[in-house]
Amino acid sequence: MAKSGDGIRILQGLLVFGNVVIGMCGIALTAECIFFVSDPHGLYPLLEATENDDIYAAAWIGIFVGFALFALSILGIVAVIKSNRTLLLVYIILMLITYAFEMASCITAATHRDFLTPNLFLKQMLERYQKSDTDNNNDKWMTEGVTKTWDKLMLRNQCCGVYGPSDWQEYTSAFRKTHIDADFPWPHNCCVMDAQGSPVNLDGCKLGVPGYYNSNGCYDTISGPMNTHAWGVAWFGFAILCWTFCVLLGTMFYWSRIEY
Amino acid sequence: RPTLCLLLTDQIPTLTKPTLATSALGGFITASTFVLEQPRCTFTGPQDTVIWLVVARPEAVPSFNNSVKPGSPARAFQQFLNSTLAYMTLNTTLLNYPCPKKPGEITVLRVGSETSCTSDANRPTCNGPLPNPGPYQVKFLALNGSEPVAETAWSDPITLRTAKPPSSIPGKGSGRSAGMIALTSILSILFAILLAGLVAMLVWGSDVGGGSSTFSKPEAVTVRRYNTHHVYDQPAARL
Repeated sequence: MAKSGDGIRILQGLLVFGNVVIGMCGIALTAECIFFVSDPHGLYPLLEATENDDIYAAAWIGIFVGFALFALSILGIVAVIKSNRTLLLVYIILMLITYAFEMASCITAATHRDFLTPNLFLKQMLERYQKSDTDNNNDKWMTEGVTKTWDKLMLRNQCCGVYGPSDWQEYTSAFRKTHIDADFPWPHNCCVMDAQGSPVNLDGCKLGVPGYYNSNGCYDTISGPMNTHAWGVAWFGFAILCWTFCVLLGTMFYWSRIEY
Repeated sequence: RPTLCLLLTDQIPTLTKPTLATSALGGFITASTFVLEQPRCTFTGPQDTVIWLVVARPEAVPSFNNSVKPGSPARAFQQFLNSTLAYMTLNTTLLNYPCPKKPGEITVLRVGSETSCTSDANRPTCNGPLPNPGPYQVKFLALNGSEPVAETAWSDPITLRTAKPPSSIPGKGSGRSAGMIALTSILSILFAILLAGLVAMLVWGSDVGGGSSTFSKPEAVTVRRYNTHHVYDQPAARL
């Protein structure tokens, strides 16, 4: 009896430790998801215009799941120490619900990241950047979002287009409808700017002289943060769920071994 | 080449043909402009000789007449592709094409850069953007007053870019990545195991008392010492 008593004490200790880790991971998940939702790189308007912004939904779910995990881990620690069957059962069921939500968040983030390809952003940029004839308010809102975001991206990261300035030459675009090719082979934001925000050499920029225009594409500066966002939510959530799985199995075993 | 042609025209020297600028320039060919190398070290003669650029459709090349004055309706940019198949523009004196050119300098001419005069009939020598992708052929013509004194050969045909519509960009989604499939399947399996565990727990774990491995809740066992008068009295009695 003493030996199994020791075994159960060890299990108790492990469960408490497991719940402590879950609680800390819950807080970390909440913090990480708040960071992503705050959109530090200003890329949300691009996602909004693709009408496929579910990686943000996944981050929102992550915020609440993180809180839930923290609260439930405290409940779990109390329940394990008191060896109260009712409390443990409540803990297990609530944890399973939280598990399901977190699973949804991870799978959503991972799946929707796969939709965000360079061609998607290229098409969106060509169809929406500087579009002047918008159909309705929603269209106007999305167009303004895309235009502002691209202007900011091109100026801040010294890049042009998705693959490069040739995007504006290879395809017709909404931009081309209002800006003729001879004056604007590509937007002037693709030019190297001086301290006052005007092109250093506009003719050099229009000619495409290396050094007066930005010849690299902006896709890396878009996909970098988005990948971090999606994989951060998906894989950190996955890690938490694997750990939670072990703790929950241990808790179920513990529950079945205590008397009322 | 028909010798009849040579007998009819003046025999002026024919120099090396114009070339496009290097493709290292991002905008060397766009949808309505193209960039030529300047004709440095090509022409000789007095510094006030005027060098003109002739832009023509290939159909107009065999019958091109050097003596037609630039700026006339037969050579006006605004009439290009309407009533004429060639126009003359970008005139400058030989002074602006010094020879030899400084190393490292980019010496180019951008054909099609003037957008303000495309419809201005008062500017027949406008360097306006080309109306369609072409092809076009160009040459330089040196005039002394209104007399042609030298020309280059016609360039190779230059075709401008044709832009495709954005709808031609291939489709949206890529395939499912391996990571996402692994994540989904592993999480689903784990969740299924947990649910099975919950069911097993509720069904079988409810009857407690399964032998020596059952764990009883620790009761607060305390040993209370019962002190009665008798225990204290006895040692006193012995003494």
